[in-house]
Amino acid sequence: NTIACDGDGGSVRRASCFFPRFPTGMSLIPRAAPAASMAFAGRDPAVISLLKMLPLLLLLTFSSAAAPPAAASPSAVHNNNWAVLVCTSRFWFNYRHMANTLSLYRTVKRLGIPDERIILMLADDMACNPRNNYPAQVFNNENHQLNLYGDNVEVDYRGYEVTVENFLRVLTGRHESAVPRSKRLLSDEGSHILLYMTGHGGDEFLKFQDNEELQSHDLADAVKQMKEKHRFKELLIMVDTCQAATLFSQLQSPGVLAIGSSMKGENSYSHHLDSDIGVSVVDRFTFHTLAFFEKLNMYSNASLNSLFNSYDPSMLLSTAYYRMDLYKRALNEVMERYIYF
Amino acid sequence: MMPPSTARRLCFLSLLLLLLLLAAAASATADAAAAEEFTEELLLRPLPDRKALAHFHFRSSAPPASAAGRHHHLFPKAISQLVQKFHISELELSFTQGRWNYEQWGGYDPMSTNNAKPPGVELWAIFDLPLAEIDATWKNLTHTLSGLFCASINFLESSTAFSAPRWGFKLNEGNLRYGALPREAVCTENLTPWLKLLPCRDKAGIASLLYRPSVYKGYYHSQKLKLKSSQSLGIILDQTLTVVLQPNTVSGKQLHSTGGQLQPSWSMEHLFSKKLSGKCLVSKSSRVFVEIEKGIVDNVDKAGSDVSSNNDLFVLSTAPDRSLKELDNLEVQSSSLYEYDVNNYNSDKPLNVGITWKLPLIWSCTRAPYHASRFLMGSGNERGSIAMSFLSTGLDKQLVDSSNDCSIKAVVFQVVPWYVKVYYHSLEVFIDGNSKAISEVVDKIHVTPSEDKLLPGTMEMLLKFPCSMQLATLTLDFDKGFLHIDEYPPDANQGFDIPSALVSFPEFNSSRSYPEADPLFVSPLLENFKEDGVVKSYTEVLLVPLTTPDFSMPYNVITFTCTVLALYFGSLLNALRRRIGEEERGLKKAGILNKRGLIPLLIAKLRGQKVDPSESESTSPASLPRSKLLLKVVFVAVVAIVFHYLSNS
Repeated sequence: NTIACDGDGGSVRRASCFFPRFPTGMSLIPRAAPAASMAFAGRDPAVISLLKMLPLLLLLTFSSAAAPPAAASPSAVHNNNWAVLVCTSRFWFNYRHMANTLSLYRTVKRLGIPDERIILMLADDMACNPRNNYPAQVFNNENHQLNLYGDNVEVDYRGYEVTVENFLRVLTGRHESAVPRSKRLLSDEGSHILLYMTGHGGDEFLKFQDNEELQSHDLADAVKQMKEKHRFKELLIMVDTCQAATLFSQLQSPGVLAIGSSMKGENSYSHHLDSDIGVSVVDRFTFHTLAFFEKLNMYSNASLNSLFNSYDPSMLLSTAYYRMDLYKRALNEVMERYIYF
Repeated sequence: MMPPSTARRLCFLSLLLLLLLLAAAASATADAAAAEEFTEELLLRPLPDRKALAHFHFRSSAPPASAAGRHHHLFPKAISQLVQKFHISELELSFTQGRWNYEQWGGYDPMSTNNAKPPGVELWAIFDLPLAEIDATWKNLTHTLSGLFCASINFLESSTAFSAPRWGFKLNEGNLRYGALPREAVCTENLTPWLKLLPCRDKAGIASLLYRPSVYKGYYHSQKLKLKSSQSLGIILDQTLTVVLQPNTVSGKQLHSTGGQLQPSWSMEHLFSKKLSGKCLVSKSSRVFVEIEKGIVDNVDKAGSDVSSNNDLFVLSTAPDRSLKELDNLEVQSSSLYEYDVNNYNSDKPLNVGITWKLPLIWSCTRAPYHASRFLMGSGNERGSIAMSFLSTGLDKQLVDSSNDCSIKAVVFQVVPWYVKVYYHSLEVFIDGNSKAISEVVDKIHVTPSEDKLLPGTMEMLLKFPCSMQLATLTLDFDKGFLHIDEYPPDANQGFDIPSALVSFPEFNSSRSYPEADPLFVSPLLENFKEDGVVKSYTEVLLVPLTTPDFSMPYNVITFTCTVLALYFGSLLNALRRRIGEEERGLKKAGILNKRGLIPLLIAKLRGQKVDPSESESTSPASLPRSKLLLKVVFVAVVAIVFHYLSNS
């Protein structure tokens, strides 16, 4: 599906006028050229050399054409923020994962992103769970000072709807036509997206609701599709599970920053047990992330660097890992862009 | 004496003025007739089992679209767009948690008939479309509602989840669709968008009382949205929230001097932790009612005092603005209502209605003629039975006739998912323990049998019970089906739900009328009570445990198969290619094995013949196969590299 190009070239979609959209997964370099050059190996050497240069020439053309999409980001101004917050665990003993996600939800709302730009996926209902002694209330601390559920929570994907398929559909934007707008990630090339996932995970996978997995290459493919479809300018992925860093091992798209709560071979631990509710109420990584954010308000000027520096491995009982090689800007500029407008 | 021309001019001007005035008046009345309205009401009622019922009722009405266009100032635009896009003529969507206790809270009054809903989500809609388009429209409607109300209503889209009853639920010509999700959770995220449809949201007016922890701590809460749309009347949207709460009073169990136990005295602050500080300013009327049931009124009459807000049995904390009495069919006063107009209260003088009991009192609410309940029979994972029982509550049909062929009609509507395969021919009826022929009891029956993975099984039955009957039981056998491994939910071992069945009694009318002399007193809540409605009750949801497979088997199969294949191919290749001992002998002959490291070893192997002849003893017989081997290895390597390059470029 090619995009109609307007003649003035002023539209940021101009880059796609140079080449049609390939189906995802295929690279831009045509495969036939090297074989053709091999087939002609026994003939005219000049032809051979020309044919050998052909794939190189094509590569150059396409890479120069491919450069504008990456260079389109300077022309695409950051103009909106989105958050996709996913809790993948079900059952009462995974209360802390729900509390993690709701804590991030509350923080993100408090710092300025409205409900229309937040996709919240909760795999189970804890607040009105029959085992909850405090109906309609979810706490992330045993002092019960803060009710994370509040009065105005809007959950977009609930219960059995939180599946790997729906998650990938949200990221890539490939929904059935009947799906309503409030359940779609309607980001564009000027969006900064925060993707937060929590649950049980392991080496290169994240478990969804006890019967499905999201693997690291699934996530990397989805992010690659998002990049090709210009669905984000910058993407910050935060994952709070065991061995979270392995989930990012396949990522290759530029403009992606990834933070994981633990390295390969390490577990992420819960913070404390609430003896009134009866289960652990928050995980260590999220607890410290929140402790950092609670000190901020909409006008603060903190940067991601300070967030990273606030993680103390002895308090987390794991090594927080961040992947910055795909990210071009200096980290001390980063924070405001994500959360504030 | 005026000249005739000026007189004519004056005449003309006055006529013009008159016409203008008339036009202005006409347009004023037309505007008044075509205005949107919003009213809010709250009804409080003490219940016999020491609980309190609070019923919130919000009505928004919009005039027909042709008159008002597309601009709304009170009516929620999301709803009007929904009605126009999907051509809805009637719709009801309810979110419920908890079960309505028909024995204690009543089954005969309009409250229990209209607001006692099955647990989970229930959606039904009547469309104004040709029959062929309704299923597709229903699918789009479920998706839209799921986005609007933050619930998984989209699971009702597939044909296995909804049914099209003809007369068992509501009489229609085939354009009604009904679906229910018994396991859907209901929490704050469903209330948030529901409140956003109100003009004042939860910031002002009666909706500001909704303290979420109180609402969700109740024994029963049900929020409902009911739409009616027509070309002549426009759209009428009724939003109701019915909550049964335990008032948190300090004096929970007081003992009265006579030895009996007093009912808890409660007020709005005990129920909601807040007082009502004013109405929603755009509402046409805002009222709070306290309903005193017939049982209490009868007790007050027996005690000898008149039924006012302050009598021997109870006293209301604030004097009501109006008191309404319900007159039943025999023009005898049964229940009474005390009305408070919220207009008279504001934040300086908030409204906190409460009731204080003076004497211990026990009363009961009128119940439906039969208490309908449903349960499962049988054990094991192969088959079972659904049983439905009707227990007489002693409500005589004294008003009709007491002749021998007195009978009470009951209509049963039940939808069973396809994996519970009901055998409708196995229907058996037992009246007072004796088995009866089906034709004696069942007057009319309409069954849509289930199809595997396509349709649920729908049953609509009209039964006639003799008036003297005490207990009737119906049983239906079923087989448990198998699901594909992908179709199991993540918590498959919990079981699968059969949605509630609806039992209605068409000969019993649950309407109540409160005659009021004042023509200006218009209350949508009381209008709803006055509407004809048959007595209905919902049965329990049944939980059927189905066989679940071992979900780890796909992983096990893959692991075993790959191990077997790896062992097979590995050993096969080994057997074909490896000559054990030959390599070592060859290298020993080349004299390299004991002297140098791995890389010189490999280089020497590849060179083959080009080893120092002083160290080799006999290379020529081994050289020819060795060079062939070398050529083969190089050829295979080149092919592999080229293939790798081609496939990965």
